[in-house]
Amino acid sequence: MATLEVKDLHVEIEDEERKTRKEILKGVNLKMETGEIHAIMGPNGTGKSTLSQTIMGQTNYHVTQGDILLNGESILEMPVDERARKGLFLAMQYPAEIQGVTNAEFLRAAINARRPENDQISVMDFLKELDKNLELLDMSQSMTERYLNEGFSGGEKKRNEILQLLMIKPNFALLDEIDSGLDIDALKVVSKGVNSMRSDNFGALIITHYQRLLNYIKPDVVHVMMGGRIVKTGEANLAERLEDEGYAGLRDELGLDVKLVDED
Amino acid sequence: MISDKLIQIATANEEPDWFIQKRQAAFDLIDKLALPEIQRFNYRNWQMLPEITKIISNPITEQADYVLTDIFEAIKKYPELIQKYYMNQVIKADENKFTAYHTAFLNSGIFLYVPKNTVIAKPIEINLIQNADEPFVSHILIVAEENTQFSFIQKMTTQGDQKAVANCIVEIVAKANSVIKYAAVDELGQNVTSYLSRRASVGQNAYVDWSIGLMNDGNTIADFDTDLYGEGSHSEIKVVDITSDRQQEGVNTRVTNYGKHSIGHINQRGVIMDRSRLVFNGIGHIIHGASGANAEQQNRVLMMSSKARGDANPILLIDENDVIAGHAASVGQVDAKQLYYLMSRGIDEKTAQRMVIRGFLGDVLVAIPSKEIREQLVQTIERKLENGQQISEN
Repeated sequence: MATLEVKDLHVEIEDEERKTRKEILKGVNLKMETGEIHAIMGPNGTGKSTLSQTIMGQTNYHVTQGDILLNGESILEMPVDERARKGLFLAMQYPAEIQGVTNAEFLRAAINARRPENDQISVMDFLKELDKNLELLDMSQSMTERYLNEGFSGGEKKRNEILQLLMIKPNFALLDEIDSGLDIDALKVVSKGVNSMRSDNFGALIITHYQRLLNYIKPDVVHVMMGGRIVKTGEANLAERLEDEGYAGLRDELGLDVKLVDED
Repeated sequence: MISDKLIQIATANEEPDWFIQKRQAAFDLIDKLALPEIQRFNYRNWQMLPEITKIISNPITEQADYVLTDIFEAIKKYPELIQKYYMNQVIKADENKFTAYHTAFLNSGIFLYVPKNTVIAKPIEINLIQNADEPFVSHILIVAEENTQFSFIQKMTTQGDQKAVANCIVEIVAKANSVIKYAAVDELGQNVTSYLSRRASVGQNAYVDWSIGLMNDGNTIADFDTDLYGEGSHSEIKVVDITSDRQQEGVNTRVTNYGKHSIGHINQRGVIMDRSRLVFNGIGHIIHGASGANAEQQNRVLMMSSKARGDANPILLIDENDVIAGHAASVGQVDAKQLYYLMSRGIDEKTAQRMVIRGFLGDVLVAIPSKEIREQLVQTIERKLENGQQISEN
C-alpha cells in the first residue's frame, strides 16, 4: 500500500508579465491511499489544477508552506521526472505535442525509465500490452506510429493520456479534467480505462467540474475545493448534492467568504 | 608554379595531360582568388590549403545499367564526359580559393553517369572514409541524362584523430525530366576542418531533392547551391545540423531561380550546444525573367546552451515581379512545456531534451524520402547529442 499526503500546502504562482506572485492554494490538506479513488470538485479558478500541477512538480508553482509526502517521504525537492518514477502520474488537461517522436517510442521510453538498465521491457511484451490497452480504449493501431499528440483531436489526446496511464501503471494518478471536451461515448471509454486500473496498488485523484464523470468512475471520497482550500469532504453522494445545489449553496451553508469567479 | 610533387603524384597516377594541365591552371589561381563568402561568419584564420601526398582510389563494383566508377578511372575511360562536366559546368575552378584548390589537389572521387531513360530502383550508396593522415580532396560528379530517376546516398566519416583538412565537392547535372534524390550524412571527425560544396544544375521539369545531415564534429564551411535553370525545375533542400563543443560552422544554402515556374524550397534546422557557433544563411535569388517562380525558406536554430551562438539569416534577392517568395527564421530555446510533459512520464531530463530536439528537427526529418537514411540520421543525431550533453557536463 502506498500513501500520498498533502499537508497545509500553500502555493504561489508567478505572473511573469507583472513580476508578481499570487497565492492560489491557502492550506490544502489531503490524504489518500492506493486502492482509493478521490475526486476533487470545485468551481473555476479555485486551485484544483494548481494542486495537481504542484504535486507533479511543475516549476511555475512555488510552495511557500506545507509539504507533499509520498509514502512518508517529502517530494518537494524532487524534479518532475523523479516524482514520476516514484509512482506519480498526471493526466494533463493540455498535453504537449511533440513532432518527430512516435507515440510507441515515447511509451517505451516512459516504461523503461522506471525499470533498471538490465531489465528493459522486451518488444514482444511491450506490443502485447500495447495491443491490449489500445483495444480497451477503442484506439486504432495507427495511433501508436503517429507523432506524440501531434494533430490529435481533443478527444484523441485525452484517450492518449489514459493509454499512457494504462501502460505506465503508476501508483497514483492525478486526472486533471479528463472529461472536458469529451462526448458521452469517449467519456465512457476513458472511464472504462481508469476503472480497469482499480486495484490495491492504484489510487486516483480525479479533478472535475462536473458530477457527470463520477457516474462512470465511482469515487470513494469526494472533496470540495473553494478559495484555495478543501472546504468539505464526504462520500460519493456529496457530488450528487453539489450537482443539485451548486457551489454557491454549499458556500453559503458553510458561511465561507469566497467569491466564485463565474458568479457575476 | 605547380609543385613538382603534385606533378609527380598526378603522373604516377597516369593522368592524361589535359587533366594535369587543369590541375596546373587551377593551382595558379589559388593565391589570386578570394575565400567563399559566408555572411556573418569569419573563418579567415582557418588553414585549409595543405598539399596532398597521394591519390586514394575508391574500389567500386561495376553496374550494368549505369556507370559508377572511381573518378580517376573515369578520366581514362570517359574523358569526354569528364572534360565536359567536371569542374566546368556546375561549379567552376575559378569561383573561389577553395574551388581552385580542389581542382588542383583532387585526390579522391566518384563518377556516376546515368544514361537517358534509366530508372534505378535501388538507392546507390557510397561510403567515403577519410583517413586523417591525408588531406581529403574528394569529388562526386553525378550526371543524370534526360528521364532518369534514382536515389543517391552518401556517407562520410573520418578514421584517425590527426588534424586534417577536407575539401569535398559534389556536382549534380540533372537534365530534363530527371528525378534525383540525394541524401548525405556527413560525419567528419573533430579535428577535421572541412569545406563542403554541393551544387546541382537542374534542367527543365527536373527535380532534385536534397536531404543533408551535417553531423561533422569539426569546424565546417558549407555551401549548398541549387541552380534552377529549367522551366518548371524544382528542388527541395533539407538540412539538419548539430554543433557541439567549440565547433564552428557557417552554412550557405542558396537556391537561384532562373527558369520560369521553377520552385525552390529551403528548410534548415540547427541545434547548437555547448560553446559552439552556427550561422545559417538561406539565400533565395530569383533572376529577372523567372516569372511564376517560387522561393520559400525556413531557417531555425535551437539553442541548448547559453554559451552557444547561432544566427539564422534569410536573404531574399528578387529581380522579378511575378513570383511567390517567403521566409521564416528563428533562434530560440527548448520548449519548456514539451520538456515538462516528457519528464512527467519519468523520462530523465537529458533523454527528454533529445526527444524535444528530434521534434524540432522532425519537420525536416520526415521529409527525407528514404526510411533507412532517416533512421540512420536519427541514430547519428542521438550520438551527437549524447556526446554534446557529456561535454556540457564536464
